[in-house]
Amino acid sequence: MSIPRVLNRKNRILLAELTKTDFKLRYQGSVLGYLWALLRPLLMFAILYVVFAKLLKIGGDIPHYPVYLLCGTTMWSFFTECTAQGIQAVVNRGDLLRKISFPKYIVVVSATLTAIINLLINLVVVIIFALINGVDFSWSWFLVIPAIAELYLLSLGIAFLLGSINVKYRDITSIWDVFVQALFYAIPIIYPISMVADTSTLAAKIILLNPIAQAIQDIRFALITHETITTWNYLGNIFLPFIPILMTLALLFFGAFVFRKKSKFFAEEV
Amino acid sequence: MKRQTGTRTEIQTSNDIAIEVKNLHKSFRLPTEQAFGLKQALFNRLRGIKGYTEQKVLKGLNFNIKKGEFVGIVGRNGSGKSTLLKIIAGVYYPEKGEITIDGNLIPFIELGVGFSPELTGRENVYLNGALLGFSNEEIDEMYDDIWDFAELKQFQDQKLKNYSSGMQVRLAFSIAIRAKGDILLLDEVLAVGDAAFQQKCSDYFTNLKNNNQTVVLVTHSMDNVRNFCDRAILIEDGKITANGPANEIADQYLKLFS
Repeated sequence: MSIPRVLNRKNRILLAELTKTDFKLRYQGSVLGYLWALLRPLLMFAILYVVFAKLLKIGGDIPHYPVYLLCGTTMWSFFTECTAQGIQAVVNRGDLLRKISFPKYIVVVSATLTAIINLLINLVVVIIFALINGVDFSWSWFLVIPAIAELYLLSLGIAFLLGSINVKYRDITSIWDVFVQALFYAIPIIYPISMVADTSTLAAKIILLNPIAQAIQDIRFALITHETITTWNYLGNIFLPFIPILMTLALLFFGAFVFRKKSKFFAEEV
Repeated sequence: MKRQTGTRTEIQTSNDIAIEVKNLHKSFRLPTEQAFGLKQALFNRLRGIKGYTEQKVLKGLNFNIKKGEFVGIVGRNGSGKSTLLKIIAGVYYPEKGEITIDGNLIPFIELGVGFSPELTGRENVYLNGALLGFSNEEIDEMYDDIWDFAELKQFQDQKLKNYSSGMQVRLAFSIAIRAKGDILLLDEVLAVGDAAFQQKCSDYFTNLKNNNQTVVLVTHSMDNVRNFCDRAILIEDGKITANGPANEIADQYLKLFS
């Protein structure tokens, strides 16, 4: 499958139209409509902020902690939405796969693009919060782009891999739901990584080898404060920080490979 | 678990064969005793059970369709007609055999693919159009014609769930007939709408026939076979049992039921 064929005119039209439809349908029938794309992560942030920052008094020594937390939850919501929608995409669009012939990856990409649109809306909110909270603009803000790209490619890899297995074994959706819950606590979103580092440097280093943790810490570093502990400045080795990136790429290529192989039979199995 | 697959090739030449099917086989794996789910799959593997039964649907089909021919495919329910059409359309993979398609193929396995009840008629036109390969600009141009043909203009901003099923099919048909291709694959799309609309559909097919459009039509209506088809192919239990002039095949088909 060469690039020109993958992105030919017909496929581009299809991708754009399916993404638009996904986005429209997501909030159909709700009074607040698209506003939920903003409200959901903000409300989640509010809960976490009250519980962890106010009641448990975590993160007191981190500058701009509320924004720091919001930034983490926003990225986490993006990751969970992207993977959940991506894994379900083939099954959800089964009616199309059974009736017309088109490259199957389009349904997965269109489902994840909806998550990207939501992320972009939320990122605007994060930036507004940051400015209100007294964070100054810096050119390093643009470093969030590669970090978000990494997080997206990772989600896409997971969606391709698990999505193609999910066609036959629908358990995957439930397993992933639980796994994501566990993963949430393995990533420094509500707790600062410095808390872990205080007790065990090794544990902190292992956590930072997780691509999601790496991407989120990079985004906080770029957007909020250069005091953020990142994979790059904490592991103390030039080569180790590339491990999460390699993991992401490996998962993406493996996922795409499995998806491509299995996609021949989606139409009859879904 | 390795599954053999046949080949399906699309080419563009000036030869006079539009579709060539050689020794086409297809079987489906039907899961037994709820082989869905990981637990069952694991158990089945441990017990050495395959977890599915193989159902042979197509058992070695051979035929050609010439450019400009209007060919009907007939047969009882479950004989494999729709599976054949889906394999030609590229929705299913051939298990064994070779299919060569010469020209741009437009398949209508079902009308209104992707129609979403929660969207308005207008939004569905653009969505369904995109699935047929039309850009937004192209739809803009034919938008009024689509609604005029469907005679539903006053409902264009209503949600599709408020349309009657007949209205939905009329809208879908109106979009579908805009598609231009060298070869049309049609599965049971004639029987839609009321008498007036039926007449329109009939005119559309007459028009296709007069323009020497290559058409493969899967149908149960022998009137349509006699009226439009040059030739027909009778499929029984996954095999071609007759292939010849439309009238003869229509008679033979009707004998199956007597």
